[in-house]
Amino acid sequence: MSTVIETDGLSKQFGDLVAVNNLDLAVERGECYAFLGRNGSGKSTTARMLLDFIRPTAGSSAILGGSGGDPVIRSRVGYLPGDLNLPRAMNGNNAFDFFGGLSGVADDPERNDLVERFGLDPTRPFRDLSTGNRRKVGLVLAFMGDPELLILDEPTSGLDPVLQEEFRDLLAERKSRGATIWLTSHVMAEVERVADRVGLIRDGLMACELTMAELKSQAASRIHLTFPGSVRPSAFDGVPNIADVSAQDGTIVVHMNGPVAAMLARAGELGASEIETERQDLDDVFLQLFDAQGSER
Amino acid sequence: MNGFWRIYRRWVLDRRRSTLFWILGLVVIIVATAAFYPSLSDSTGESLDSSSGAMSSLLGLSPGIDPSTPLGFLWIGLYANIVPWMIMALGIALGTAAIAGDEDTGALEYMLARPVTRTAIAFSRFTAAVSVLFVVSTFSALSLVFSIPLFGLGDAVTTTAPNGSTSIVPGAKSTDVLAGSFAAFAVGAGILGIAFLLGAVTGRKNVTVGVASGIAIAGYVLYTLSQMTSSLEFLTWVSPWRWYIDDVMLINGLDWDVLLPFGLAALCGLVGWQVFLRRDLQNP
Repeated sequence: MSTVIETDGLSKQFGDLVAVNNLDLAVERGECYAFLGRNGSGKSTTARMLLDFIRPTAGSSAILGGSGGDPVIRSRVGYLPGDLNLPRAMNGNNAFDFFGGLSGVADDPERNDLVERFGLDPTRPFRDLSTGNRRKVGLVLAFMGDPELLILDEPTSGLDPVLQEEFRDLLAERKSRGATIWLTSHVMAEVERVADRVGLIRDGLMACELTMAELKSQAASRIHLTFPGSVRPSAFDGVPNIADVSAQDGTIVVHMNGPVAAMLARAGELGASEIETERQDLDDVFLQLFDAQGSER
Repeated sequence: MNGFWRIYRRWVLDRRRSTLFWILGLVVIIVATAAFYPSLSDSTGESLDSSSGAMSSLLGLSPGIDPSTPLGFLWIGLYANIVPWMIMALGIALGTAAIAGDEDTGALEYMLARPVTRTAIAFSRFTAAVSVLFVVSTFSALSLVFSIPLFGLGDAVTTTAPNGSTSIVPGAKSTDVLAGSFAAFAVGAGILGIAFLLGAVTGRKNVTVGVASGIAIAGYVLYTLSQMTSSLEFLTWVSPWRWYIDDVMLINGLDWDVLLPFGLAALCGLVGWQVFLRRDLQNP
């Protein structure tokens, strides 16, 4: 497996503002890496450095084994910016011919299929398109020519839920063909289905990096146990896979981070009369992780 | 330079409508002005002979230019002011659009995500901008060439000097108009180069338009002030108007000075390209 995106101490400073700070990143071929963070956390700045639109203050980056400024490298990349702006009089077909032509993929046989999948009218000029339709033009352009590497900045921003689902299907298809995907988002649920790994960036610093499996395991189950008599949280001391125990409104609330068999056995010994489970979604985990990282500072 | 001609073609195509409006606007002004010649040719000279030096300068009057002659009329009515100002305005618009216009919106960044180099973009856009300026200048010149026989501008006229002697002054020729138009195009190309440089350095449209317009106006003001007092004459060396007004190429024919603004444009283009290669793109 070879590394498709690699950064080494990548940093970017605008005046006093440190937009990206000492970022080390390695994305392997065929992997889908989601770069998550709040607005202004440094996601787009990182994307712009990967493609050599802006130069790092310190450190280095490489994509597909070379510089993002190399036209040969860029011919293998599909890119969607956070905010796509094209000449106002240009329509979708003009854009596909022109930008596709620059990459040598204007005649991509999948072009019409992509247009249909996103339900785009390619004859309307850019000035008449809504935000969502502009996004569709950008997505068709990014996917045209079946690029080896997709760099997508907030790809589903402005898309309705149906098209978001279509986008995720398309992403899964391209991933199955071997494409490497690097996307930014601030919506955890968006990447849940397609990402293999996530990096959480906060104020330009990589807060943590987790595989999707690790992330999901952090979406620990919460189990509410009701007992006929009084039971203290300390009764669960030493039981494996328990992250936290607390008493709440007459019930014991147990946070699990692994198999629950031992905990259930202990609850049975204590005479539990009712068991209710509750599972966090990944957005809750996202918020917790950011709160946790923030409070450490 | 991969993509040079594709970018060039697209940029020109994206401006086909505005280019057409510029041509129409200039042609209308030129033809309408030329159409006044038959009725104004008798009275213009006397009313302006008594003007101040500054007013003469403003109107493009120089010693030896008789506004009652066809070429004198065209110089004062069009080539001393309106035509070069409009060509300069177009030059600023085109020079700004070449880099700063698209960079401000993010369209330039998107193009750079494709397999093209900054060098290809800079050179194709600069060449395209000069080409559009040349096309507009050419159409405006041709409109005047065709107006010459329509409004009697090609006819010789008899003028009377203050001492009572008379002389016959030939009418305007196509070559005169082409020379004058080429000089106006040169002024426009010079300011286009400056706008291109500013756009390549700053990447900001508003800054580029503002500073380039300021430079164009300052050059004009400096030249006009220098006509009031000889102590300010040194200021005129930084003004493109000095050679444009003083040389009067519409009447005297082209001379080597016409190459100065092209040299300035080329220098600005090269410096702008080098800066553009090295700097960060602006955040759209």
